[in-house]
Amino acid sequence: MKIDEKVISYFESSNTPVDKQGYLYKKGEIKTSYQKRWFVLKGNLLFYKEKPADRDLIGVIVLEGCTVQLCESDEQFAFSLVWNEPGLRTYKFAAEDQESLEDWIKTLLSANHQYLALLLSDMERAYREALEGPSNEPTKTNPFIMPYFPISEAGRASTFPSLRSSSSQPTFASSSSGAGHSLGPGFRVGPMADPVLQPSAAISAKPTLRKSPKLWSKKATNAVNTQPSSTFFGDFAGVILEPEDEFVKMHEEFGKEIKKLISHWATRGPDGQENLIDFS
Amino acid sequence: MRFNEKELISLSRQPSEKAAELGMRGPKKGDVLKKRLVKLVVNFLFYFRTDEEEPIGALLLEQCRVEREDSLTFSIIFLDEAERKYQFECDSEEQCGEWIDSIIKASYEFMRKNLIFYRTEIHKLTGKDPLEQYGISDETRFQVSNGLQLKARETSSL
Repeated sequence: MKIDEKVISYFESSNTPVDKQGYLYKKGEIKTSYQKRWFVLKGNLLFYKEKPADRDLIGVIVLEGCTVQLCESDEQFAFSLVWNEPGLRTYKFAAEDQESLEDWIKTLLSANHQYLALLLSDMERAYREALEGPSNEPTKTNPFIMPYFPISEAGRASTFPSLRSSSSQPTFASSSSGAGHSLGPGFRVGPMADPVLQPSAAISAKPTLRKSPKLWSKKATNAVNTQPSSTFFGDFAGVILEPEDEFVKMHEEFGKEIKKLISHWATRGPDGQENLIDFS
Repeated sequence: MRFNEKELISLSRQPSEKAAELGMRGPKKGDVLKKRLVKLVVNFLFYFRTDEEEPIGALLLEQCRVEREDSLTFSIIFLDEAERKYQFECDSEEQCGEWIDSIIKASYEFMRKNLIFYRTEIHKLTGKDPLEQYGISDETRFQVSNGLQLKARETSSL
């Protein structure tokens, strides 16, 4: 499969926010020794090169579908990016110290697109609620029927431009009428109807999950129907997410995972080695 | 440039709301319109030959502009020096509009900016930082002071 390298390189060099950067040791793909590389995280892309000032990238890792795990290794401060499907790889890394290790793990765990999508959907809802004022109680009884939103123009940020649209415009995420998503009065709006959310394999694999039928409409012609492979969430596969609680739940799961990692580190002795034998 | 190809191919197989057969024309002069199964997954646009399992290619939908060319056609223009342009022909005006919408909204950078916008606005309206409840107020990626403007100051030309 081809990838448009120019686009990728350009994105890395462009003046877009860097979420994290620093040196990490990466286990070689051909040679098995660890090599020191400069990593730059932007969004769900982890770029790497030899040195910070280098213009040429050695490579990029797309952080979708993987979990971040501590790994048992001769190397200290080791962690890995794991794709759980057969035939897919594991990238092994080692950080320079404990602090760097923890920070990289935490950051990489939340770098995927879905995390941001869910958080954004939450924020959209919170924004709508804030616009309506404190007197309005959002109905929580049936989470799958969103409160009726009469769409008034007042107070709305600019509608979505349908012609010249830069990907960098922070407009309110409602579509203009030209896009076929006209939001007239009486139109039910909810996070699952929002095209920003991409259904994850985790959700699609569980048909018992109640969802707005809109999400699974056959509007998309020639949709490639394949067996949902192992989940995006990997270790969090057991979490069935409901729209309104999705981000909160996922965030809690991340928190638990991090607490687990922290307590695991706590059992290790000061020299980083686990004290398996009590020598006292 | 190395990249995790197998994992990306696996990503291309994830279910997507946006998958359709469109006419696609590449960025090079003289490239002709070809029928492709185009699929949007996260911030990548994969394109397949119809009935093939493995995509021919993947486009990262960051640092690009999406433009309507005419009622049925839209293009994705990358903001590099060459301003490489990929064109897509749809079956209907409605479909065209929906694709434009979806592609713009799929960009990570676009989503991030929207999030920062909402964060700021909610704070203005309620006096509270909505990210505090998640304990992520301090995360680098959501900072307002990141040099990002809340208004759409960034233009396509850099």
